[in-house]
Amino acid sequence: FPKQTFSLCCKPFRCRSLPARRKYMRSPLVPEMATQEVQLNETLSHLKTESDTLKTKLEEERAKLHDVELHQVAEKVDGLGQFVMKTRRTLKGHGNKVLCMDWCKDKRRIVSSSQDGKVIVWDAFTTNKEHAVTMPCTWVMACAYAPSGCAVACGGLDNKCSVYPLSLDKNENLAAKKKSVAMHTNYLSACSFTNSDMQILTSSGDGTCALWDVESGQLLQSFHGHAADVLCLDLAPSETGNTFVSGGCDKKANVWDMRSGQCIQSFETHESDINSVRYYPSGDAFASGSDDATCRLYDLRADREVAIYSKESIIFGVSSVDFSLSGRLLFGGYNDYTINVWDVLKGTRVSILFGHENRVSTLRVSPDGTAFCSGSWDHTLRTWA
Amino acid sequence: MKDGIANNSTASISQARKAVEQLKMEACMDRIKVSKAAADLMAYCDAHIREDPLIMPVPASENPFREKKFFCTIL
Repeated sequence: FPKQTFSLCCKPFRCRSLPARRKYMRSPLVPEMATQEVQLNETLSHLKTESDTLKTKLEEERAKLHDVELHQVAEKVDGLGQFVMKTRRTLKGHGNKVLCMDWCKDKRRIVSSSQDGKVIVWDAFTTNKEHAVTMPCTWVMACAYAPSGCAVACGGLDNKCSVYPLSLDKNENLAAKKKSVAMHTNYLSACSFTNSDMQILTSSGDGTCALWDVESGQLLQSFHGHAADVLCLDLAPSETGNTFVSGGCDKKANVWDMRSGQCIQSFETHESDINSVRYYPSGDAFASGSDDATCRLYDLRADREVAIYSKESIIFGVSSVDFSLSGRLLFGGYNDYTINVWDVLKGTRVSILFGHENRVSTLRVSPDGTAFCSGSWDHTLRTWA
Repeated sequence: MKDGIANNSTASISQARKAVEQLKMEACMDRIKVSKAAADLMAYCDAHIREDPLIMPVPASENPFREKKFFCTIL
């Protein structure tokens, strides 16, 4: 398959930029309007020049500190040994493509969502299904486990994020207790609880991210800055403060201050949509995975990209990335059905994992790092260790 | 009509102004050298690598995913 057509036909509802501003009339009816138009035009082009100058200056500042490459500094680090990672459990039960999954803090439960609208909670040790709910929409692209383990949040083409409290009574109808929390004007691409069950952060095809209060459904803060669909987000590890990173179809990864709504840093080096972003465990860096078939590492304090994880033989997009507990390994789920494991410091691939029979759409390492779980368009989830 | 033109271009201008403000703010950031950043990333890895079960495998009996256990539920 030529890479471009493959990605276009299999990625519904993505990559639509926000509509361009309407151009104003070329021939004004009144002379005063002509003068006004000329003035506005001048201001606009003046601002554009200023913007370009600032961008160049920003690049120069960043380049001054680029004294060495990460993989060069990492040459003195011991190489990693041989890896034996295998599928330890296969979770079967979804009737269609698995789109998203998340771990519970108890390190054994998993929530997953799929194209057919089903959201399932599993016990990953026993592979038993503990809860199942059918959403009223298809393409449930986002799901998340609450920190307490007592609720799950999910959403997709319904443009909403809904929270379902999980009951101990297996017979109880989960759908009855559903609470609508977030409302966007386009599909929900990702959601995550913050440190508590009380707030949820969402990202959407409408180009924005938003922070919501679960109890009241109130919008607490919105984050504007992406020029196209936002596809992913990740919260900074709690020790490092109130920030999160988002990635979008505009090829940008933005770091936001949750309290002010301000974009504090922006990175634009990918050549295509950013499908996944994940913080390095220390909070000082984050990795991204993109349709351009590369994963990249951005350091927040150096304010630049510090590593690219790619190979000429890898031509399919990355859908999902996550770090191992120490941050030494980066796992990437790819659209060519494989999972590539990268040495974060040296920039080399240490392993390639086969098993899924269709593209890998989601991948998360368990909270204690003992395993990671991948979900795929082949309708299954696999835990690997 | 006049207002229409003004609104469109003022909107573009305010968008452009916001972009310029954003860039000015980003330009003021205190940055560190890549060598320092890289050293810190390496130090973190080094400090935590021994606790990383996917790199330093713990005995199978301690990793619930690696141990072979057969689960049966009594219906």
